[in-house]
Amino acid sequence: MPEEELGPLPAGRHGFSREQVAHNQRERLIAGLATAVAEHGYNAVTITHITKAAAVSRRVFYENFEGKEECFLAAFEVVVAHIRDLVAEAVESAPDWPHQAIAAAREVLAFLASEPDLARLCLVEAQGAGPQVAARFHAAVRELVPPLERGREERADERSLPPNTEDSTVGALVSLAARKVAAGEAAKLEELLPDFTQFILSPYLGPDEAERLARSVAV
Amino acid sequence: MSRTGAAEDQRRRILEATADLVAEQGYQGTTIETIVRRAKVGYATFYKNFEDKQQCYLALLDAAYGVTTSRVRQAYDREQEWPDQVAAGLGALFEQIVAHPNIGRACLVEALTAGPEAVARHEELLKRFTPLLKPGRELNPRQAELPDTLEDTLTGGVLWVINQRLIAGDAEGLRGLLPETIEFVLRPYVGEQVAAREAELAASS
Repeated sequence: MPEEELGPLPAGRHGFSREQVAHNQRERLIAGLATAVAEHGYNAVTITHITKAAAVSRRVFYENFEGKEECFLAAFEVVVAHIRDLVAEAVESAPDWPHQAIAAAREVLAFLASEPDLARLCLVEAQGAGPQVAARFHAAVRELVPPLERGREERADERSLPPNTEDSTVGALVSLAARKVAAGEAAKLEELLPDFTQFILSPYLGPDEAERLARSVAV
Repeated sequence: MSRTGAAEDQRRRILEATADLVAEQGYQGTTIETIVRRAKVGYATFYKNFEDKQQCYLALLDAAYGVTTSRVRQAYDREQEWPDQVAAGLGALFEQIVAHPNIGRACLVEALTAGPEAVARHEELLKRFTPLLKPGRELNPRQAELPDTLEDTLTGGVLWVINQRLIAGDAEGLRGLLPETIEFVLRPYVGEQVAAREAELAASS
């Protein structure tokens, strides 16, 4: 897995400060964890696997993290932050809410398809890594709810959608993506864009318009 | 109690203890030692029934998934119209979880932490709901346009709603979410109006 996906290393100066080196080591450990988890799965992964993949010492690991759970959470946060940035950028150039939603879905699927190890880490392993990580996973998924709720303004129908609609929708899409990744089909995630588009937009724009837009994004 | 009755009772106690412990401490945090202590049986009894912790947990999954799917199926089959069938099936599913939240948590939330075999059975469980949803396609005038992934997506959405409540320790909250979950599942097939009417029916019953 390329290290640059986990955020740039400190910019090249003449000699790093102690903190910069520590920062660098922390990032290497995070990248090492992603590699090691991809190979062994979270539950079987050991600190030794992580430090070996990161090429740093155990002492350095424990200077940065209490244990593998904390290291995993750090890695998870890095990936989530990266996806958040990608989405924010993609959404900026979209002309209206439906196209923002499509741009966001496209960006997330493309990123996960291009980084199958990270896709596994944040969609599959995060759900199986114990209660604390699972709670973070659920919170991260729910971040998608407010931008989706803005679709309610697009509705022609006066009746309001049930309050839990967006939560069910993001949960449904994340579950579908997670199952694809678990089945080793991360590379095919981008093929889901038309289905995602239709499913996301339908409650707000109605099935006809949602279908039209879904067809427009099909390759 | 007859000898077979006693043996069955012991096996049942082991499975119940496993469900409680996995729900409380996670699969990884559960040991055979804590299981036998909680079930009040000896190690010999445990090993007479199960090879190891994993086999014991998988037996729990099989039992729980089996009971749940047959409850859902029965409720579904009692109704005539497909929207009513789905509403009844979802109602039975939610009631099963409300009645046994520890089994729900141990077998739905924690299954993903328990190794590839458990993950495979969990996946297989989700697939069992596909044939219950598929007939809804025939009620849609443009069924050809419905995405192939629709049933998987909806099953995932329902599972998500359940897991959220289980993780929050609020299985009972599922009852309040039943009408809108019915609407969520029916909408893509029968449209919002029919789906909302079915949801109202569930809310008033």
